[in-house]
Amino acid sequence: MRKFLRENGIGLVFGLLFLIVLVLQAFAGLAQFNDAQRATGLPDISFWRYVTSASFGVDVAENWQSEYLQFFLFILLTVWLLQKGSPESKSLDKPGRETDEEQKVGRFADDKSPKWARVGGWRTALFSNSLGLVMGLIFVGSWLAQSIAGVAAFNEEQLSERQDPVSWSQYLLEADFWNRTLQNWQSELLAVASMAILAIFLRQRGSSQSKPVGSAHDATGVEG
Amino acid sequence: MHRRSITLILGAALLAPAGCATVGSREDAAASVATRLLTAVDAGDGDAACAILAPGTVKTVAEDQPCPEAILGKDLPRPGTVVETSVYGQWAQVKLTDDTVFLAAFPEGWRVVAAGCTPQASRPYDCSVEGD
Repeated sequence: MRKFLRENGIGLVFGLLFLIVLVLQAFAGLAQFNDAQRATGLPDISFWRYVTSASFGVDVAENWQSEYLQFFLFILLTVWLLQKGSPESKSLDKPGRETDEEQKVGRFADDKSPKWARVGGWRTALFSNSLGLVMGLIFVGSWLAQSIAGVAAFNEEQLSERQDPVSWSQYLLEADFWNRTLQNWQSELLAVASMAILAIFLRQRGSSQSKPVGSAHDATGVEG
Repeated sequence: MHRRSITLILGAALLAPAGCATVGSREDAAASVATRLLTAVDAGDGDAACAILAPGTVKTVAEDQPCPEAILGKDLPRPGTVVETSVYGQWAQVKLTDDTVFLAAFPEGWRVVAAGCTPQASRPYDCSVEGD
């Protein structure tokens, strides 16, 4: 058990923190929602009603989609893009998809390689791109969820202001949809850019996301 | 299939496992309350009409005289046919042939927040009966 916890700390701790923060978000969102209800003379809604509402759904989904977009772009673009001195970059002589030998694919696979890396054909092609593909699919799915929950939340507000609701396709052209989308995208892109650049000159001793403290600033593709 | 229907179906599919009332039944209930209001006013039954107004709306309507009398003088149209009902979260809009009614969800069911509403180009509806 202790071995399991030690070997899975990142996934377990971040997964647990995610659940705790999601619940806290739900309570904060409920309080805000009920403030608005009271301001218009309407009764409070229950916690359960709130966590199944479009309002909570769009607030959750708009953040999820941007996080998965961030990782999707980071995974995909760092195949070709490099950053001299950054531990987030591969070494400068390895841009692109690299050789089968470097990637231990097909006949270069070793005894411990996953079966789909060894077998060749569509399975190896799919497995070779599976991380980016799944991140991309989750991004598209959560962006779609944002739009569906978003139009319902937007229309709830429209009705409360005695205005007509809009269709899903009309909502995709609404400022609300793009404001929610773009405000999340810009923050994710800033985080990636600043991480890639700050990690050239700054260190965090012992972190997998940092170069060793004594590494040269121009050492690229080195992780602690 | 109309995109709106797809949205509603997806919404219903997402909400159904949560044990929520289906979109259809909430729409029917909202349309029924809107029609009941206009029917009560048409029949001169101010008590019945005020009983299905939201508390904030009752307060505004009853500013100068009791609600059951005041509501009858608001020139609400006769109950027509329900043309379209939209339900989103705690709010509903019922469009009838001669009126548009806005309702909100209360523990006892839908209550009319605004009635006798006419659309204004790209501005909120203008309503003869509404709360603050």
